[in-house]
Amino acid sequence: MTVDGSAKAVSMGDSLASFDSEFVQLLTPEGKRAEHPEYFLDLPAEDYRALYRDLVLVRRIDAEAIALQRQGELGLWPSLLGQEAAQVGSARAVTDNDYVFPAYREHGVAWCRGVDPLDVLAFWRGVSHGGWDPSEKNFHLYTVVVGAQVLHAVGYAMGVQRDSALGPDGTAVLVYFGDGATSQGDVNEAFNFASVFNAPVVFFCQNNQWAISEPLARQTRIPLYQRANGFGFPGIRVDGNDVLACQAVTAQALRTAREGGGPTLIEAYTYRMGAHTTTDDPTRYRLASELQEWQGKDPLLRMRTFLDHDKLAGQDFFGDVERESDELAARVRSGCVSMPDPQPSAIFDHVYAERHALLDEEREQFTAWIDSFEESAR
Amino acid sequence: MPELKQFAMPDVGEGLTEAEILVWHVQPGDTVALNQIIVEIETAKAAVELPCPYPGVVRELHAAQGATVDVGAPIITVDVAPDSPEAPAPETNSVVGIPADSAPHPESDSQQSHDVDHRAAVLVGYGPRAAVPTRRRRRKPLAAQPVAATSSEPGTLAPPPVRKLAKDMGIDLASVTPSGPDGTIIRDDVQNAALSGVPAATASPGTALPPGFDPVTRERRMPIRGIRKMTAQAVSTSAFTAPHVTEFLAVDMTQALGFVSRLKELPEFAGVTVSPLLVAAKALLVAVKRNPDINASWDEKIGEIVVKGYVNLGIAVATDRGLLVPNIKDADTLTLAQLARSLTDAAVKARAAKTPPADLTGGTITITNLGTFGVDTGTPILNPGEAAILCVGAIRPRPWVHQGRSSPARLSSSRYLLIIGW
Amino acid sequence: MSQITLVKGLNSGLRKALENDPKVMIMGEDVGKLGGVFRVTDGLQRDFGEDRVVDTPLAESGIIGTAIGLALRGYRPVCEIQFDGFVYPAYDQIVSQLAKMRMRSLGHITLPVVVRIPFGGGIGSVEHHSESPEAYFAHTAGLKVVACANPADGHWMIQQAITCDDPVIFFEPKRRYWEKGELGTSVAPDPLHSARLVRSGTNCTVAAYGSMVKVCLDAASVAEAEGASLEVIDLRSLSPLDMETLSSSVRRTGRLVTVHEASVFLGMGSEIAARVTEQCFYSLQAPVLRVGGYHTPYPPARLEENYLPDVDRVLDAVDRALAY
Repeated sequence: MTVDGSAKAVSMGDSLASFDSEFVQLLTPEGKRAEHPEYFLDLPAEDYRALYRDLVLVRRIDAEAIALQRQGELGLWPSLLGQEAAQVGSARAVTDNDYVFPAYREHGVAWCRGVDPLDVLAFWRGVSHGGWDPSEKNFHLYTVVVGAQVLHAVGYAMGVQRDSALGPDGTAVLVYFGDGATSQGDVNEAFNFASVFNAPVVFFCQNNQWAISEPLARQTRIPLYQRANGFGFPGIRVDGNDVLACQAVTAQALRTAREGGGPTLIEAYTYRMGAHTTTDDPTRYRLASELQEWQGKDPLLRMRTFLDHDKLAGQDFFGDVERESDELAARVRSGCVSMPDPQPSAIFDHVYAERHALLDEEREQFTAWIDSFEESAR
Repeated sequence: MPELKQFAMPDVGEGLTEAEILVWHVQPGDTVALNQIIVEIETAKAAVELPCPYPGVVRELHAAQGATVDVGAPIITVDVAPDSPEAPAPETNSVVGIPADSAPHPESDSQQSHDVDHRAAVLVGYGPRAAVPTRRRRRKPLAAQPVAATSSEPGTLAPPPVRKLAKDMGIDLASVTPSGPDGTIIRDDVQNAALSGVPAATASPGTALPPGFDPVTRERRMPIRGIRKMTAQAVSTSAFTAPHVTEFLAVDMTQALGFVSRLKELPEFAGVTVSPLLVAAKALLVAVKRNPDINASWDEKIGEIVVKGYVNLGIAVATDRGLLVPNIKDADTLTLAQLARSLTDAAVKARAAKTPPADLTGGTITITNLGTFGVDTGTPILNPGEAAILCVGAIRPRPWVHQGRSSPARLSSSRYLLIIGW
Repeated sequence: MSQITLVKGLNSGLRKALENDPKVMIMGEDVGKLGGVFRVTDGLQRDFGEDRVVDTPLAESGIIGTAIGLALRGYRPVCEIQFDGFVYPAYDQIVSQLAKMRMRSLGHITLPVVVRIPFGGGIGSVEHHSESPEAYFAHTAGLKVVACANPADGHWMIQQAITCDDPVIFFEPKRRYWEKGELGTSVAPDPLHSARLVRSGTNCTVAAYGSMVKVCLDAASVAEAEGASLEVIDLRSLSPLDMETLSSSVRRTGRLVTVHEASVFLGMGSEIAARVTEQCFYSLQAPVLRVGGYHTPYPPARLEENYLPDVDRVLDAVDRALAY
């Protein structure tokens, strides 16, 4: 294995991970079921259809958001294109009592947790820094500082331990982060705290191969899931484009955590088909051939093929899903363009839980300032 | 009726203010679907495809392929209600996108929730506004911050400059009637108080007498001893026994200053203070040579003028302990460099209280320099026993009528003038 | 009324907090078995258990980050940063997360975390053990910042900080840890964010916090013998500042000198000077003068007496103020 030190565009061939070693897969890119000695997923047909529907809707929201950004309705959007299965699969393994910490690209997880897509878009539109109540959905706000949320998740899990809230119906914590985040000190401290305290937390790393323009080889010399060994807990790699494997592996890890078995690191091996965000230009650092290769591994395609081939869904179903995604897209669009800006005084809201004399003073002055003009600023 | 909507060049978030139309994927008359890619634009960094925000029929393209368009300029108009029968009424701009200020666009009677922003595009987010400096009209003036003191708070209220004025004038602020806003004392209040004889400030921290003043008499007495006593006596005697006549002359030192600069470069003047004073001293010595009778003293007892054949040049030096006038013996025999050295030595010794007593007697003519005090000139007092004294002041640039060797007299905006009192 | 040290005052305050609310937790390096390198948490793990008094891994950012997670789960963690100079690895978690999460969440999230930091010099220690980083935190909206100066305040203020629903950075003057003071447990404590007039005077106000309060009181005694009357204020709360107490004092005396160990440049004294000048402009007889450390890193122990403000430096500033 070589470490890529060049600054030019790199291809998959330069990256370290050997694709087929220790890689849990239950659904091949061709849409065929595969078997694994430790993991299996045997669902009723409607659950497979539901997963497919999730994948389609999540992709559609993402596409609509990109278009909205290109039309000036969002300041920025980080696309999850290609990562739908990693997010939907893992999120659908989460129970009602579990608690989830996303990074900032987990719109698919948000969808599964029941967060309104418009609340997610509000963040990227600049209407708020985080528009939902975390405790309502057991889904924390987006964290933009890379890796910071991983410590929060471990702390939360330590709280769960103190609540004696473990057990089959207990609470496990699931935290998402990317391959880039694994270089951050906070993430490594989090691994250490989780290990030392045997915290009930599942670390879900979506390794999408790129941290903006920096390839995986810049973040690690070894496969990411092996990091866990260094900290003393199990790590496992799963085919991040296989929604069934992601669900199975995550469910198992959550069970382990819930039952007091401590942390697990799951590396979902996937690919960021789009740009880092709408302001990024991936053509500057990666090759089109790489994209093509991963297109052959598309998560939606294999699921559709599977449903088709195994006769788990008919044309009516696929038509319904299409229609539903159109309607959802239209709702998201109209909701986004008509989203009202917050009142200017919102600048001063919720800074403190209790009084702060200076803030009160400034709020008063600001109100007088705003009132003193004939027309508003914008 | 047909409903026309415009799509303006958006901020694609790359710190751009313009983009080039690479290729249109639609033409007027084409039906377009929502989010259909209608154009590819080239930014400074990459080619970006733009999806159409409106379904309908393309009415007009506003920029040709290859054209560079400002962010905010309309690029396409789409009729979103193409099947309605009536004549088209142009919809006022429903601007989508975040325009810059430079491109012309229709009056924004905008139905969008946000107005035309003037923003420059950047990498993460909307970007800062481009500078279009204006100021919004104020409805009413902001109330001035009220002076927070209440009547229950002790202490006078006055801004710092007024406090200083009161202190300098010895006025106690507590007895001044304030007429400023919110009970503050203003400048006029202090001045009025001074005119009407308000009692002066009594001693208190902040209006305390300087150290050394008797708090009762409010006077400070300074006993005079030593050098000061002698100087006082000598000067009074001289001033009131010898007739004093002073003549003033303005001397154009411009060339002399050049001379001084050149002297400083010479090796024999290395480490020696070279200044216009040196030149003036030398000039005095030359003058004495030509007019030896000036280098004399009046013997009152015998009734004779005693002309000296030697020049002991006195140089007045202000020291901590008082005014000293050491003299340089036989100054007329010294070279310029030696004279310079002697002048410096005399001053240094005097300030260090190391002047030999012999140097303090036997002077025949004196030069005194007020220039260091920034004074233009002065009426010097004769060193007792001498007949002449030269006072030199500060050299300043002034307008002067100057006649060069080969040029006619004309007003120069500045020549360096020295005014001597002789 | 009993005489106790600041350490004991804090210890008993923490004990009461642990007793009063089962959600209160203590976490930090060496706080459990050892009872803290200054013994501030002595005996607490023995009495409240390892789940509530936690010896953490040696990782400041980890301590604060996990404390945030615990607070999200409903706990009230009291973190200890062992020494002032070691808070910096945790600065991002404090400033980017702890301070901002409430506003980010539009009020849905409350983070009642206390971060205890022994601060300041005068203990003859090596590098990084004598810092005064309070300005970095007071400057950050979303945090509250307080500093106790005596055992009674240590005892009460720590409890108030723990029951406060906002994140509080709690500075403890380690130089005063072993000094004794009265602890009257029957007296109702002052509000957490109030300043306190600790000595009345007429000629000049001197405002300080933490270890410098005692220095200012000493300076006031010396000044009294010399014929000047100083009014001394213990600020206690740095964010929010109690401007009312400060301003009403300055309106009476007409002069203000601020004193802290942190360097003068951009220290707390600068903000106070600006605000007091604005609010008391017509009452001021002299500009506000600031006493503090120099614009240098904290010096080695043998030199620290030259760096730290002492009675002479305080009185020199007072003299200059009085000379106007």
